[in-house]
Amino acid sequence: MALKFLIVDDSVTMRRIVANSLKTIGHEEFIEASDGREALQKLSIDESINFVITDWNMPDVSGLELVKSIRANQNFGKIPILMVTTRGLKEDILEALQAKVNNYIVKPFTPQILREKIEQIVSSVG
Amino acid sequence: MDYTSNMEKVFQKLGDLKSFFIYGQKIVPVMQKIVDFMQDTVPLLENVNQSIQDSTSKIPKAAVQINNVTSATEVATTEILDIVDAISSDVQTIKTKLELLKNKIDKQKDIISRLTLSVKENKIACEIINNELIPEFVGDELVSMVNMIDKIHDGVMNITISLQVQDITAQQLSSVNHLIHAVQEKLSSLVMDLNNKEVKEVPDIAYQVAESGSFNPDARYNKDKESQTLADTLVNNQIKKPSQEEIDKLFSKP
Repeated sequence: MALKFLIVDDSVTMRRIVANSLKTIGHEEFIEASDGREALQKLSIDESINFVITDWNMPDVSGLELVKSIRANQNFGKIPILMVTTRGLKEDILEALQAKVNNYIVKPFTPQILREKIEQIVSSVG
Repeated sequence: MDYTSNMEKVFQKLGDLKSFFIYGQKIVPVMQKIVDFMQDTVPLLENVNQSIQDSTSKIPKAAVQINNVTSATEVATTEILDIVDAISSDVQTIKTKLELLKNKIDKQKDIISRLTLSVKENKIACEIINNELIPEFVGDELVSMVNMIDKIHDGVMNITISLQVQDITAQQLSSVNHLIHAVQEKLSSLVMDLNNKEVKEVPDIAYQVAESGSFNPDARYNKDKESQTLADTLVNNQIKKPSQEEIDKLFSKP
């Protein structure tokens, strides 16, 4: 199954690193958004996006708010979401899980971890 | 009777007054010392006030410099990533070419072994074919070169991973800027209280303070797996097997 990723991060560097890591593990299709608001716009326009990788700390609409907005949306509420963030405290992880992210990566990460989490999500849903 | 009583009261009041004067005589030197101290302190307070004003007016410059550091490291990181991408692409091209070469050599070796079989009666010809046409070490060298290329590729990938430090330090610097802004606000209000005038703004300096939600003040560049292991444990406890209907919905293309 071909995955089309939406990479959401306010840091240009991190978007680039996530994109490079995706290419390294064989995923070529992705688009980018610099915050939650832009991500929601792109999700509502582009129905071919079927995987979201998002940061937590972003201006305007944060990653956590983005996750909640996605889950509340009737059109794309079931899309898999992987959170990639610097927040590694237990309460942060639990808060993200409560908001219904599918998996969680603490920065800094390797392409291998990214692959592992994407595969876990894909296999857990099929 | 009333006259006597009134006089007694007057004498009592006079006694109180006398005590007050005696007490006053004792307290006057102390009061004088306090006044002297206050007179000495006023210039000091003015100095402190001036210092606070100076420091407060310099804070925006510090904040701008911190923002400049973040921007500069972001630009530099992007440049490094461009170079890393170019190296990665070149390394991949070299690897592909080496693998093609290895395949060609393997094919030629196969041809040579068949050729050797066809001239097996001629020992000299066999020797020439085996020793001179394609020496054995060429294939081994190619394999070793491909392995080295893989190592270079891993190194390039490690550089990319390490560059995540830019995002992490940017968040730490945003946190510092936020603190600086809070200190400036407190100092400005102190100056307002002391002087009843606002702190002069430094011309041409406008700085943006990131929203508190847009950075993690606890961001750390830490390669140990502790946080990831915790996340994995919590995620694994949470994961439930979804229904087939949910699976179909999830990946169905419109």
